Amino acid sequence: MIDELLFFMEVLVGGLLAGTMYSLVALGFVLIFKASATFNFSQGAMVFFSVLAFCGFMQDFNIPFVLAFILAALLMVVVGLCTERLVLRPLMNASEDTVLMATIGLGYVLEGLAQAAWGVEVRRLDLGIGDFPVPWIADNLKLFISALDITAGLVAAIMIIGLFLLFKYTKIGLGLRAVADDAGAASSIGIPLKHIMLLVWSAAGVVALVAGMMWGARAGVQFALVDLALKALPVLIIGGFSSIPGAIVGGLIIGAVEKILEVYIGPFFGGAIEGWAPYVLAIFFLLYRPEGLFGEKIIRRV
Amino acid sequence: MSNNSADILDIKNIEVTYDDVILALHDVSLKVPKGKVVALLGANGAGKSTTLKAVSTMLASERGKVTKGSIDYDGNSIQKQNPSQMVGLGMVQVLEGRRCFGHLTVEENIISGAYSRKLSKGDIDQELEKIYGYFLRLKERRKSQAAFTSGGEQQMIAVARAMMAKPKMLLLDEPTMGLAPQLVAEIFNIVKELNQKEGVSILLAEQNTNIALKNSDYGYIIETGKVMLEGTAESLLNNDKVKELYLGISKKGRKNFRDVLKEESLNTKSN
Repeated sequence: MIDELLFFMEVLVGGLLAGTMYSLVALGFVLIFKASATFNFSQGAMVFFSVLAFCGFMQDFNIPFVLAFILAALLMVVVGLCTERLVLRPLMNASEDTVLMATIGLGYVLEGLAQAAWGVEVRRLDLGIGDFPVPWIADNLKLFISALDITAGLVAAIMIIGLFLLFKYTKIGLGLRAVADDAGAASSIGIPLKHIMLLVWSAAGVVALVAGMMWGARAGVQFALVDLALKALPVLIIGGFSSIPGAIVGGLIIGAVEKILEVYIGPFFGGAIEGWAPYVLAIFFLLYRPEGLFGEKIIRRV
Repeated sequence: MSNNSADILDIKNIEVTYDDVILALHDVSLKVPKGKVVALLGANGAGKSTTLKAVSTMLASERGKVTKGSIDYDGNSIQKQNPSQMVGLGMVQVLEGRRCFGHLTVEENIISGAYSRKLSKGDIDQELEKIYGYFLRLKERRKSQAAFTSGGEQQMIAVARAMMAKPKMLLLDEPTMGLAPQLVAEIFNIVKELNQKEGVSILLAEQNTNIALKNSDYGYIIETGKVMLEGTAESLLNNDKVKELYLGISKKGRKNFRDVLKEESLNTKSN
């Protein structure tokens, strides 16, 4: 009995920690959704692009870890700058659908650029953190939990707290929330939309880089990261597209639920249900709570 | 470069088109003297909002363009400016329909108006106190989410937010739309007070002709994108045509200006 409980705990904690990685990717989507009301389909490509560049800097040019990270982050700021100048500004008056299509195009451009610059082979990324159970926890709590999962959880927590503070207490954060509510009114009182867009795309780029590093360390830096990032879609449907806490909780729920279902119900379906189970959960949410757990309800005064 | 002439805003014969085809303004000229309140009156679709947006340069984001004529603000052409530069120069528009940031608190809404200024935390608090002096109601509700405040309070938020940018000139687009008479009076009292105590020049677009003229120095009446009549507020209030067409003091049904002019020309011909 106690063994079964421990096993369940292990599945749960492993799932929750893996879920923080989904949260990280979803966070990138939320940032851009808040500012431009667009689902950024190029977020997956940004993950791939940024972490491949990071690997390239480290492995092809022998740049040390910290410097390579800073360079990759700066590169994502440049990507944000170019996106604002070349894609978003010309489409300023276009419909949201047009911008959505543009992000799909942007995704292909980034995927192509990344592979043209750094090659197509799978790269191994060693962060110096093993993907194996931490001995101390295994000995004392009898739980087998990967060090990489714990690191990912911590990193995600730090980034989330940082972003929360940025939005709540800084001037540019206030500007971002204003733009998210009513871009026209924000512009009428002199909040420059282009600065906000630049901020949001750069922040989303850096979040993509961090998420890519975590995923890459586990599964290798490869093209499949682009599709893996789409796992953020059910996370967002559950959490709500415009909510940062929603992205976090949604990620945790998806991570935990898919692991638990895989272990306990998977065998009845012949296994490998974690690939589609989150989408089934998302459909239930769309039917019964379409704004998600934390999504901003459309406030209507009566 | 600052301007010595008496007018803070000088619009000369502007024509505005949307999407390169839809002609919204044919020929509008108007002036706002420094420190005065000028009313821009007319029915729905007459071109009031378009005129204001041409001045604040917000037309561009609605695919509109000034195709003829010129607009000078404080002695300089506004042709090459964008909305945030205009705010920097002291020209702020309060958009039609209040447009508060619904998920932000009342106070955050007001503070967001100071975005274009470089203020310390202490300066912002000081400015806030000053603004709350005009909008006592908002001080009580400072922590509420703006979306849950009443229509009148939202209008006050919008004006207070604009005042945080320290404007020399305010463009108010139908501030009394959909408000109860008591609130209309309250809003106009505040606007008057801001004009007198802060020296803000005001261009006010309104459908509510009577109360707008009673609170203005000068008025323009536009119809289908053209200025049909102008004059001091007093002269407009006493003008028979205005009385008949806009103040509802008439024995016959409602008409518009064009019909009256047509009638007049017919009368003179037959005489």
